[in-house]
Amino acid sequence: MMIFNLPSSRRMKRVLTLFLFVGLAAFVRPVGAQTPEAEKNFQQCRACHNIDGPKLIGPSLAGITERREQDWLIRFIRNSQEVIQSGDPIAVKVYEENNKIPMPPHNLTDEQIIDILLYIKSGGKVDPKFAAAEPTADEASAKEALAAKMAAEQEAREEELAAIERDANRSFGTTFIITIIILIVVLIDLFITKVIKAKFVHTVLILVGLFIIGEIFYKEAAGLGRQQYYQPDQPIWFSHKVHAGQNQIDCKYCHTAADYSKSAGIPSVNVCMNCHNVVKQGKITGTEQIAKIQSAWDSGQPIEWVRIHNLPDHVYFNHAQHVNSGKLDCAECHGSVETMHEVMQVNDLSMGWCLDCHRKTEVQFTDNKFFAAYEEMHARFKSGEVKKVTADMLGGGDCMKCHY
Amino acid sequence: MENKYFKSLEDLRIDTSRDLEEQSAGDKSFILKMQRESAALPPTSRRDFLKAFGFTIASAAVASSCEQPVRKAIPFLIQPEGIIPGKASWYASTFYDGTDYCSVLVKVRDGRPIKIEGNNLSSITKGGTNARTQASVLNLYDNARLKNPSKNGSEISWETADAEIGGKLKEISARQGKMVLLTPTIISPSTAAVITDFVTAFPSCDHIQYDVLSAAGMLRANQDSFGAPFIPSYHFEKADLIVSFDADFLGSWLSPVEYTKQYSQKRKLTDGQRSMSRHIHFEGAMSLTGSNADHRVQMRAGHQKFVLVNLLSALKKLNGESSPEVQGTNHDVQELAAELFRNKGKSLVVSGSNNKDEQLLVNEINMLLGNYGHTIDTDVRLRSRFGFDSRLTTLVEEMNSGAVKALIMMDVNPLYDYPQAAAFGAGLKKVELSVALSVVSDETSAAVSYICPDHHYLEAWNDFEYKTGFYSLSQPAIRPIFNTRAAQESLLRWSGNPQEYRTYLNSYWEQNIYSKAPGFTSFTSFWNSKLHDGVFESGEKSAVAVAYTPVAAMEAIARIAATKPEDSIDLVLYANVSVGTGKHANNPWLQELPDPVTKVCWDNYLMISPRLAEEMNVVDEQLVNVNGKLTLPVVVQPGQEYKTVAVALGYGRQQTGVPANGVGQNAYTLMTFDGDNRSYLLSGVSLALEAGNYPLARTQSHHSMEGRELIRETSLEAYLEDPQSGNEARVELKKHMKTMYPEAKFDGLHWGMAIDLNACTGCNACVVACSSENNVPVVGKEQVIASREMHWIRIDRYYKGDEHNPEVVRQPVMCQHCDNAPCENVCPVAATTHSNEGINQMAYNRCIGTRYCANNCPYKVRRFNFLDYTGADTFKGNEYDPAEMTTDLRRLVLNPDVTVRAKGVIEKCSFCVQRIQEKKLVAKTENRELRDGEVVPACAQSCAAEAIVFGNLNDKNSKVSQYFASERNYHLLEEIHTLPSVGYLTKVKNKTV
Repeated sequence: MMIFNLPSSRRMKRVLTLFLFVGLAAFVRPVGAQTPEAEKNFQQCRACHNIDGPKLIGPSLAGITERREQDWLIRFIRNSQEVIQSGDPIAVKVYEENNKIPMPPHNLTDEQIIDILLYIKSGGKVDPKFAAAEPTADEASAKEALAAKMAAEQEAREEELAAIERDANRSFGTTFIITIIILIVVLIDLFITKVIKAKFVHTVLILVGLFIIGEIFYKEAAGLGRQQYYQPDQPIWFSHKVHAGQNQIDCKYCHTAADYSKSAGIPSVNVCMNCHNVVKQGKITGTEQIAKIQSAWDSGQPIEWVRIHNLPDHVYFNHAQHVNSGKLDCAECHGSVETMHEVMQVNDLSMGWCLDCHRKTEVQFTDNKFFAAYEEMHARFKSGEVKKVTADMLGGGDCMKCHY
Repeated sequence: MENKYFKSLEDLRIDTSRDLEEQSAGDKSFILKMQRESAALPPTSRRDFLKAFGFTIASAAVASSCEQPVRKAIPFLIQPEGIIPGKASWYASTFYDGTDYCSVLVKVRDGRPIKIEGNNLSSITKGGTNARTQASVLNLYDNARLKNPSKNGSEISWETADAEIGGKLKEISARQGKMVLLTPTIISPSTAAVITDFVTAFPSCDHIQYDVLSAAGMLRANQDSFGAPFIPSYHFEKADLIVSFDADFLGSWLSPVEYTKQYSQKRKLTDGQRSMSRHIHFEGAMSLTGSNADHRVQMRAGHQKFVLVNLLSALKKLNGESSPEVQGTNHDVQELAAELFRNKGKSLVVSGSNNKDEQLLVNEINMLLGNYGHTIDTDVRLRSRFGFDSRLTTLVEEMNSGAVKALIMMDVNPLYDYPQAAAFGAGLKKVELSVALSVVSDETSAAVSYICPDHHYLEAWNDFEYKTGFYSLSQPAIRPIFNTRAAQESLLRWSGNPQEYRTYLNSYWEQNIYSKAPGFTSFTSFWNSKLHDGVFESGEKSAVAVAYTPVAAMEAIARIAATKPEDSIDLVLYANVSVGTGKHANNPWLQELPDPVTKVCWDNYLMISPRLAEEMNVVDEQLVNVNGKLTLPVVVQPGQEYKTVAVALGYGRQQTGVPANGVGQNAYTLMTFDGDNRSYLLSGVSLALEAGNYPLARTQSHHSMEGRELIRETSLEAYLEDPQSGNEARVELKKHMKTMYPEAKFDGLHWGMAIDLNACTGCNACVVACSSENNVPVVGKEQVIASREMHWIRIDRYYKGDEHNPEVVRQPVMCQHCDNAPCENVCPVAATTHSNEGINQMAYNRCIGTRYCANNCPYKVRRFNFLDYTGADTFKGNEYDPAEMTTDLRRLVLNPDVTVRAKGVIEKCSFCVQRIQEKKLVAKTENRELRDGEVVPACAQSCAAEAIVFGNLNDKNSKVSQYFASERNYHLLEEIHTLPSVGYLTKVKNKTV
């Protein structure tokens, strides 16, 4: 879709050529090829591995294709944790040798992985016959355009969110002012000008006006203390978009406590240092921001992040409850964090919002043995009287589930 | 009169037409003052109203338009393994303060210890605790803690302290100057080794053990009877007949947590048990244990020895021997002797006296009854209370003569709790080097030249051997908050050993204790296992075997028979269940804990009998002078022996923190020394009436239930015949239970609690446990007088029968979680509702403080935050903090899972809903059903008597369901059809009707 939006037909031709080329490379795959695509994909690996050189976070990859079988490598690269958990002795050994730092899973096809392996085998060189595919000036500009487009889109999205908020405020403001003006006019007419003779018109207008003003007051008052769209500046310009979006790092790699505790936990500096021991330069920020982690590490001062999602003291919220037994995805409350550079609170975290979800969300009623105690509900469920069992139906709307 | 229950004497003589002003006996004056003050204010005018209205609107607008504060989230730099933010970790540890011992688990949230619970793995305390153990976590955050080493009041560094003290010690040692190390009884094997090392390094040093609650009388008696000073193990769970002479074994005598566990185990009639022990108690003052007895005999405190002589004589007669008798006591002990004789080998006679002769007689009686080897074990011995009182008397003399050159005091406070504190203080001035190794600033630390602050036990490593072969460990649950150092480490340092105490302890265990544990492959695995459990029980027996010789007892009989009982007023000095010896007096939870007998908190007082009060023409709260030394307010105590009066120790602290300073009077000053031992009993006391009243904070008549069938009881005999006996009313009431509303039904979980009145002793551990778990505020004396105490659970105490010698019954009362709750209907904002699990919920943030619910609650369990007791309010001006509970340090004890309530809201027992939710989540995560007994509220966890059972009423196999199905079960005020979720099991007394 983006391609067709490009203005110049000349550019379009080039882009199409590029795609054709990549397509060809995919279909007419010469055995033993090290495509530019492999080089691109290897960027993911480079964060933790050297091909030839000292060990980084992960081991050096020189000679890996001789040391391990290809099939094993494919499985391990795609999802290392799965292989480790299956009890594979080599995998476990590798895992333990490398301080139990898990390699994140990679969404790659077998062919892509084989390509990468060939790329590694060749010592990190692209096959000369693909030299033509090295980005030409035109292609580079196409890439740039693409990146610019994506950035623009992100900006637009942020703008949109801000606009929604502004609109919401403006519409309140406009309605409020119009209503006040109408009320004043009606009052003037009622007592001074007396243009409209029928007094019930005034009465109705005044009542409607007061109702609208009352509603605005109610909504505004209810929103006090809520922080929807709160997006504070953090001490380090940390991008979730880069980490969770582009690098595909799982949320729980850093926010480990979400599985066990009421708080999801902000990663400690040593977690950052797992990778940033080596990764010293960011794609966007260069070295400046990452250096702050290093300086925190060196000075022994923890980083003071700004809390974005705040709940009042009289609310008890437990991440483990929602992640483990509620089986919620992080994004359901926190939004698509992987698209945000700096995290913004997308939901208002109001009680109404909580309850709405409790009313909609089904519990693992038949799958989790805990619910076996609810005999009556089971009977109703079996008889078909209830189609789905929500959290609310089992007391998820009671005060003392969250307030104690 | 026979069947009338009453809560106090005023209650008995209550005149419904009374005028508050006329009846005012101090405690109501506060309310009257408030009423007068409000009456004196001019009526609010329209303009005032508009002003207030305008201000409210304006301030609300200003407050709400303020920006939200920026909150920080600061993670660890390096997250320690096994610590998850927001999740509690548990550490096994041991509480020992020189008097009480308890094996405990410490709950730590985000680095702060917040709750103490009993350790089930200990076969001494078996998961039980007492009030002081529960409250000990608050001592960690005591504002009066010593924060730095200091010299004559100015802060110094540890290096300076070590150099100066170490140098001085060497110098004194070089010239053979006498040094003394004064400690409480050391039951820690490693600490004992440290002290041995210290004494080896300084051969002129003498180690003296000083116990505030002394058992020296028993030690000396056993020395004479058995040839070795020791305290045996008592087995109340094996005794069918317990006869106690003024031994408050459920409250303060030797090892109360252990004995409570044993005692209640033998007296429960649940789980098919059909028999219970019989407990006969002789005492002058009304004690916790005495009030639990099946048969309580009033005995002049000073007549104990004569009663014992006569009892022994009667027993000997039954045995075909003869022994002298004493005339002049009006106790017929023939029947008791016969009953004891029938229970040979299954009885237990104990005495709380600190007099050698009396303990000798008790030894002889137990020997004659064949109780040694059955209910008394001489092979496994109690290792605490091993101080000989005479040694301290000698020390004070030596100090005053200038012979003592250096005095190191570790964890003792003789300037407060030694009877001749002034002489001690004078002697201390003549000592060249005085050092205090204390945790909290106290009278002694204020008088010494060097203070080397010790860790609180939750910050320290230590080990204990409370009874022969019963080892336990304590480990730090938090990094030291202040610049403190383990006392043992200080001693090691001064004796030239640079080791850390932890290393020392470790190698001590490796060399001396590891060999006692078979089945471990390495010391590390042994150590880790025992550190995890907190306890190690080797099963060893005392190395020194003993043999009984009756000679000493015969001599004692002769000595006693040579004297005559006197008709004088006797004074009993006792330690209560809250502040005890006064060591923890600076703990606001303990100060606010009502005494289980008198229901008074925040003071000590003179307990006198109604008859003596009438003779002296005194009423409650009137001031009386004792022996010209101490002026105390009077509490007229039903059940007190005619001429026995009693005062609690542990009050009248002067130089510690705000909560304790100036609260009550120091009764240690009354104590005397009988030549061998300190005496907790004074004969021939003179009482003189003084002018004036002193108001006492009493929770006594705030919750009177006006003669309804609240406590149902029966005798064992009647119970065995008909289990329903005493509870006939329930059968009748069940017939009338009709309603036009649909029956309350709960699918899945329906929480319920059952309380076995037969097991509950009224020790008050649950009250402190609840305060600790649920952030219950401390309100101070004035507010308690105004009936504003905040405890979510209280122990009601009723008297029955004759006012001069009543029976006592107790009942823990908390929110009954009625399924037909009167409070829920009247809340105008639906802040209190019923959950689908049968819990009566309270939403603080919704409450607007109308207090309709509290008014409508028939059980009076709802508490209102009249003021901001916790510092939770936005505006600091609202704060009311008489006990320094809102300082940052004190607030570290708050449980982060429970809301800290602000001014203007109602609160009450929540069935520890945070624990329910936690365990439900665990079950869901593990994909299984909740197990019975998995959810344990704080009160039930703390209970050494296991009187409280909690669980799911929908599960017919759960323990609570079985209790509810019992014929003994009834509910409070069930006739008004509130359908409580709390049930009580009738009290069964083992008495002849």
